Amino acid sequence: MPSTGDSLGSWSARSIVVTMFPLLIVLSIIVLAAGITLDRAEALLEQYRVLAIMVPTMVGLGGNLGAILSSRLSSRLHLGVATFDVRDTGLWANVAAILALAVTVFTVLAIGSYLLGLVLGFGVALSTLLFIALVSGLSIAVIAVVCSFGATYASYRLGIDPDDLTIPIVTNVVDVFGMLIFVGVSWVVLGF
Amino acid sequence: MSAREEFVSIYRETLPVLLIALGGGLASGVILENLLASVERFPGLLVMVPVFLATRGNVYGALGGRLASGLHQGLIEPRFSWDERLVNAVVASFVNGIGISVVIAVLTRLALAVLGWESAALWEFLAIMLVSGVLTSTVLIFGLLLVLFGGYKAGYDPDNLVGPIVTTLGDIFGMLFLVFAVTLVGVIA
Repeated sequence: MPSTGDSLGSWSARSIVVTMFPLLIVLSIIVLAAGITLDRAEALLEQYRVLAIMVPTMVGLGGNLGAILSSRLSSRLHLGVATFDVRDTGLWANVAAILALAVTVFTVLAIGSYLLGLVLGFGVALSTLLFIALVSGLSIAVIAVVCSFGATYASYRLGIDPDDLTIPIVTNVVDVFGMLIFVGVSWVVLGF
Repeated sequence: MSAREEFVSIYRETLPVLLIALGGGLASGVILENLLASVERFPGLLVMVPVFLATRGNVYGALGGRLASGLHQGLIEPRFSWDERLVNAVVASFVNGIGISVVIAVLTRLALAVLGWESAALWEFLAIMLVSGVLTSTVLIFGLLLVLFGGYKAGYDPDNLVGPIVTTLGDIFGMLFLVFAVTLVGVIA
């Protein structure tokens, strides 16, 4: 490992803030794009109110999957067992587990939203919700996986503690693309 | 651990937490659905929602990731104590959390101005972000410490807990405190 000893051992409040705050500002600017999408989608959300209920979960679960993977990758780095080798079956096991989790939770999301929709009185067909949730959910999961590897590898190469970088980057990218993909897929499916 | 065992252990340990996160997400979705009603009172509010929620994940996800690695490395103890590393990490996340809330209010106001969209006043955005930011930070920091330490002592890999805890607490309490702040500022304004 290159001379990353100092940054990996850094626990001073000042250095955490100095490392992270500029990144937080940049990320906030990026995520504003997602907010603008949400604002534009207001009409869609008002007509299909069940979609508004799905938005935070959709994005949140995508971020979760990415956060789990990057947190695992950075701990592997800290523990010195990580390699960025395609022959490392441990890495593939991580990716496969994330994708399997994605299929499971996005199916449950569709069913949960469908039931909530029934209770709150705005039904959209279960098959439609399943299609929207799985297509956008799996796309988001793939983006989360690619992004987790990219961010962990980049911070490793740059000698920055991946704990400070990867989760913010992954969750933000997922926020932006998750919102765009979810609104886009819903738009197409519902023929809005 | 073989690849298959690793797959199974990640899936099995993470699924319950993800399902809890899913329940939390749906709850915050119902709150968001209600927040749509306040959008007319504070134009541009919806633009701020994803950034606000994302920041909670950013700041406290990073805190959680750091604590998880610290626990793995034995740098911090899984209990509330006046440990210098722990205090530093908590203080830094509080500074980052509050600081970025202010930045978000200003950025949102700027973006709306640039786009030429209708917008609430800057001070209204600032007040909403500060009130919800401080409240959410407090709940998230203590929630994170409590669940991570408890989970670690119960034998869970903290890496599998961080993301779901942060997004669940962040989404639910973020949305709840956002609605609270919007109501509060609506009364004052």
